[in-house]
Amino acid sequence: MFGYVRPDRAHLTDEAWERYRAAYCGLCRCLGKTYGPAARYILRYDFVFLVLLLEEGEACQTRRCPRHPLGGRPCLEESQTLALCAGESVILAYYQLSDGVADGAFFHRLGCRLARRTLKAAYRRASAACGGFDRQVGQCLRELDGLERARSPQMDRAADAFARLLAAAAPETGDAALDRPRRQLLYHLGRWIYLVDAVDDLEEDARRGRYNPVAARYGEAADRAALAVTLGHSLALAQSAFQLLPRTSWSDLLENILYLGLPGVQQLVLTGQWHKKERDKQETTL
Amino acid sequence: MNDPYRVLGVSPSASDEEVKRAYRELARKYHPDNYQDNPLADLAEEKMKEINEAYDAITRQRAGGGQTAYQSQPSGPSAGGYNANAGYAGSRDPFFQKVYQAIQVGNLAAAERLLTEEAPTRNAEWYFLMGVVCYHRGWLDEARQNYQMAVQMEPGNLQYRQALQMMDQGGYNTYRPAGFTSAEGCDPCSTYLCISCLTPWGGPCC
Repeated sequence: MFGYVRPDRAHLTDEAWERYRAAYCGLCRCLGKTYGPAARYILRYDFVFLVLLLEEGEACQTRRCPRHPLGGRPCLEESQTLALCAGESVILAYYQLSDGVADGAFFHRLGCRLARRTLKAAYRRASAACGGFDRQVGQCLRELDGLERARSPQMDRAADAFARLLAAAAPETGDAALDRPRRQLLYHLGRWIYLVDAVDDLEEDARRGRYNPVAARYGEAADRAALAVTLGHSLALAQSAFQLLPRTSWSDLLENILYLGLPGVQQLVLTGQWHKKERDKQETTL
Repeated sequence: MNDPYRVLGVSPSASDEEVKRAYRELARKYHPDNYQDNPLADLAEEKMKEINEAYDAITRQRAGGGQTAYQSQPSGPSAGGYNANAGYAGSRDPFFQKVYQAIQVGNLAAAERLLTEEAPTRNAEWYFLMGVVCYHRGWLDEARQNYQMAVQMEPGNLQYRQALQMMDQGGYNTYRPAGFTSAEGCDPCSTYLCISCLTPWGGPCC
């Protein structure tokens, strides 16, 4: 996805950071094993958050991988949750590449087309494994596309399509005391990601004449104070939902992300200090 | 009932002081004030009830099983019950009353349909209730716009003004877990400053 959902390393103990890396490496390994080595490159921090949110186990094993051939690294052991998160990230990455093929500069389009072709087989397998999520993503992105084409000035409605998509990433368990907080948490996280990304893209979208929900709502000189309030409000609703979930061994990491990581990223994006492309490179070398 | 010690997250061998501390932290977390207008308010209320009962059970047990041995009733949810959109007790207008009921049972689609298709008039209350529907959906910006419209049309109405004020503050105060409590307003750029210079202990401020 976008890599905005990340922990605040400075406020994590080394032990907690190691556990975060074990979840990251576990997901990476699962992607590589199930969907081929190329799939490892789609891994983003956002899906590690989903692993932390849904995973119940905590057992790790030291494993070697192409990036850590000597000695290996602690890796979260394979589980249904990891398989689910891996499948879902393949599906989202595939749709994101399709979006890149549809618009963007020539070389960007070309790159996306090539990457999409590489990922096609993986996408087919992921779609077979997580069919419900695939359908939901397809439907939400079609709605989003319609709103973007219509250049809707109602940024909540565009964000809503993406937020529902993310909320669908947590499978229903039938227990309302679990499903409702998870849904609210992921919904507002999705709204936050969509709007933060829109703020981040303001300049580029203006240059290319592309639709931007934040510009459509506030004009190109976006009202950053108002944005900070509405983004912070979504975070508050996500945090309050999180507190209603049962505590697990991952709760401290989730709290670090929700209470420090996300507000920190938001601040950087709103002040124009977040540089997406460099961040992307950083992330694939964890 | 569940094991009261598990509900409070302490071991049965914990001291009275530890039990009390765990209870207080949980009560701070699930306090109705943190879930005002929150679509999950009912779940928080259930949790609050659960920890109140657990704390009660433990204190009774430790006082020797007597029913009334331990008098201090922990501060539970405020009496009189807690409702979403506190302050707005419903409308005198039977039509808006119907809309409000639909919102309360969580049927947002029905509430919106009533508002957009059957509303006799679009007055301040209409905008207020539309704002409530949007808020429950998570459409925070549209909720604010509707509340603002309601305030413009009826500036004297305290409830509408409170709703707008809540949106302008980015929601009510919410619970922050121990260790994250003073992080408010501590942006990453100034964090570095807080870390070494401003705290007497030379550690992080939050």
